[in-house]
Amino acid sequence: MVKPILEIKNLSAKVADKEIIKNMNLTINAGEVHALMGPNGAGKSTLSYVLTGKPGYEITGGEILFNGLDLLKMKPEERACAGIFLSMQYPVAIPGVATNNFLKHAVNAKRKYDGLPELDAAEFLKLLRTVAKDLDIGAEMLKREINVGFSGGEKKRMEILQMSLLQPKLAILDEADSGLDIDALKIVADGVNKWHNNDNALLIITHHQDLLSRIQPDVVHIYADGHIIKSGDKNLAVELEKSGYKTFVDAKE
Amino acid sequence: MKLTEQNITLWGDDIPWLAGLREKGLRAFAASGLPTAKTEAWKYSFGAVGNTENLRIDTTPHECNGHCHQQEEKPVSAYCIDFCNGKLHGEHFDLPRGVSVKPLVETIYDGDIKPYLNKSFAMEKFPFAALNTAYLEQGIMLVVERDIALDKPIVIRYHQHNSQNLFCNIRNVIVLEAKAKAEIIEYVDIDEDTCLHNVVNEIFLAADSTLKHYKLQKEGKARCVSLNSVQQRSNSNYKCFVKHNECALARHESYINMLQEGAYAEVNGVYQLVNNGVSDITTNILHLAPHTTSNQLVKGVIDGKAKGVFQGQIHIAPDAQQTEGHQLHRALLLSDEGEVDCKPELEIFADDVKCSHGATCGDLDKEQLFYMQSRGICLENARRILIEAYLQEVLNKIDNSEVAGWLADNMKNF
Repeated sequence: MVKPILEIKNLSAKVADKEIIKNMNLTINAGEVHALMGPNGAGKSTLSYVLTGKPGYEITGGEILFNGLDLLKMKPEERACAGIFLSMQYPVAIPGVATNNFLKHAVNAKRKYDGLPELDAAEFLKLLRTVAKDLDIGAEMLKREINVGFSGGEKKRMEILQMSLLQPKLAILDEADSGLDIDALKIVADGVNKWHNNDNALLIITHHQDLLSRIQPDVVHIYADGHIIKSGDKNLAVELEKSGYKTFVDAKE
Repeated sequence: MKLTEQNITLWGDDIPWLAGLREKGLRAFAASGLPTAKTEAWKYSFGAVGNTENLRIDTTPHECNGHCHQQEEKPVSAYCIDFCNGKLHGEHFDLPRGVSVKPLVETIYDGDIKPYLNKSFAMEKFPFAALNTAYLEQGIMLVVERDIALDKPIVIRYHQHNSQNLFCNIRNVIVLEAKAKAEIIEYVDIDEDTCLHNVVNEIFLAADSTLKHYKLQKEGKARCVSLNSVQQRSNSNYKCFVKHNECALARHESYINMLQEGAYAEVNGVYQLVNNGVSDITTNILHLAPHTTSNQLVKGVIDGKAKGVFQGQIHIAPDAQQTEGHQLHRALLLSDEGEVDCKPELEIFADDVKCSHGATCGDLDKEQLFYMQSRGICLENARRILIEAYLQEVLNKIDNSEVAGWLADNMKNF
């Protein structure tokens, strides 16, 4: 049976008086992988911030349901605890906050939301070590201040580590492949594939086909000018790689 | 009752040199008066001194039957010296060999205090220290003898109860002889808003001695001012850490004279005021000899209608070549009605020196807050984590882990 995880209905949103998302519709069901591809400046990152509740984005129309919940009424931390995770294009460095400490706060916030007892230091460390090992993240990196002085690849692996720890229902990967070499790309893709199952869903925002060759999408959307202009199966991404966005954007006009 | 017309009799009025000194103090205060907006060293915090009309000095003997002892918390395991309502509680202290603490009055009569008293600063510059001199009676003289290193810190606690309108003047003279080492923790726990608590510490550090001086101001409604006047001989080391919690007025003024080569001074501080009140950390560090070094790092968090003041003066005398003086003040200003004032002043008369100063003031980083929220951490906790991280840089400079632990437990939640 098809169970929708995310339903975006007629969504419009503004940033600083400029309309970025225009009457957008998208439904993602449990078990599915969707790819959202589009030219620079199309509003892909805006969509990811609207979904996660970043301040500064004004919703001018439409609604978003997440597992049936009215997402737009929820605070960012409630959305995260309810199961939305955004792997950010530019993860934020927080000087003075040790990575392992940060992760413990995040994991325990979610556990508290779920009505579970918080993990103590030893229990958390055990969990962290297991997950970090798969992503080739060592103890040294976990002791460093989060994202401070991390390389591009380290930052992206750290995002996937957080995703693996928090076990979201919907993960949004915003340019998770940018700045990654082939080895790092493989680690990230393996991490995502390990998490993905029939109960959760994935939205991949990307320019390139690289990541999509490792994480097979069920649906590929071309996103331009604030909404989806064409959807298709994974072959659409391949086609896009050959012909470029322009063909599709021009055809639409 | 006016501050200068208390009409009281103090111990030692029969000793001519002391009576003369008190008279001098009174005259110095009468000349300067209470600080106003025109008093440069007080321009940001003079207002918080507030009403002094009803202040009175209590000269009756201290009788609390140990009452003041019971309710006090002791921050760390230490030798304790207590002041209750501005008066020394007990006169005998269980101290190790080579360390002595005497009531100030006793040292006035035996003359031990004479070489030190009022020898480290000029009263004309410090109105409250002038008053403190005019009413000099309470306090201690602490001496750590040559080569002696204290095994535990000495905690000086100031506590008050049923003390409406009390004007307390406390003078502590602290002498570290050559190569002596000590740690002193002043712990101010006063919650009476009608009181004025006025402490002057005169600190004399002989060659190669080391003093770590902590000043912990517990949350309360009190008005507390202090002058910490330090004289440093060659290669002596003075490390001061100030923590101000919410308080009507908490002013910690350091006046550090590095008289001989190789002296090192450090003043670090943290202030956190959430609703009201004023924290004032004022330093005046005088490099008077070559090869002297000073470092200052002060960080604060201001919310509500509170105010944070940092004034840092570094003076480098013409002869003080190859000296270093560094200073940094950073503040988080979390509300529209709060205020942060910062005034760095560098006076450099030597040419071969390294000096720096810096000041920043801003809100919490919105991107960092959202990043944490997007990981499920609620806004309130995210703010708390960021503030703790912000202050940690200064707290890391505390090398007494018990003090560091006490501070961590007393961090304000925002």
